Amino acid sequence: MVLDEQILIKKLKQGDEAAFKEIVGTWQNMVYNTAIGILQNAEDAEDVAQDVFVQVYESVKNFKAESKFSTWLYRITVSKALDHLRRKKRKKRFAYIQSLFGVNNEVIIERPDFQHPGVTLDNKERAAVLFKAIDQLPENQKIAFTLHKLEGLSYQEISEVMKTSVSSVESLMHRAKNNLKKWLTGHYENEE
Amino acid sequence: MNDRKHIGQEVEKTLNSLDGAKRATANPFLLTRIKAALQKDEKGFWSKSLTFVGRPAFAFTTILVAILVNAVLFLEFKSEPSQQSSDGEQLFANEYNLANNTIYDSTVEPE
Repeated sequence: MVLDEQILIKKLKQGDEAAFKEIVGTWQNMVYNTAIGILQNAEDAEDVAQDVFVQVYESVKNFKAESKFSTWLYRITVSKALDHLRRKKRKKRFAYIQSLFGVNNEVIIERPDFQHPGVTLDNKERAAVLFKAIDQLPENQKIAFTLHKLEGLSYQEISEVMKTSVSSVESLMHRAKNNLKKWLTGHYENEE
Repeated sequence: MNDRKHIGQEVEKTLNSLDGAKRATANPFLLTRIKAALQKDEKGFWSKSLTFVGRPAFAFTTILVAILVNAVLFLEFKSEPSQQSSDGEQLFANEYNLANNTIYDSTVEPE
């Protein structure tokens, strides 16, 4: 761990507000980018980023520096984002069941295609299709693929975040790519 | 055949469309939001307690418990014999020597 990082964490453990400000400033884009990649919604990603740093402030005393601080942050972000996603899916399912029984007459609005703000202009359209495909992946494959493609993490780093072996990450990535290829092939075949 | 090849190329291009993507940047007011959330958490205990106490379910339960306690106490006192209370009075009077004595009650000890 970098010395500055160690000092910052030590200060934060003592409740130093300036240290917390610096931690938020240093890692907010990393947390937000990971959250937006998983949730594919800017507002939800902001909520999750806020929750992540609140948890960091409240539970930094439990951080034992066995892993890198960024790894710990990624873990919290992934876990919070998945919780958010599950809660949202549950709500959606409940609203659908209610609509079947005529209890809820709200119109379920289809989400527009997600546009990641960091994608280059000439890739915007393709990336939107890819995000649709990523949304269909099982949770583990989605996490591994997002961390690799959006955050540029190596398989070793992903394995530390996901608390699994490198070979498991390799397998997850292989399956993720195959599933994405299948979905995309179907998508382009229907288009023609 | 050409179509299949074309689709394959499209799939590959789409799979690589995130290459070179920049990090999305967080809202510049994120820190302010986090601070507000932390302050809300600190106030949380009292506001949560007040919210809990203010719930109609809590009010109804409290009223129900009060009525039940009153009913139990009422039935208990009603079923007890009245003898007990007069016994209590007697004991109290004896304890503090409150007996209503007359001159005839006193006995003169022979010398």
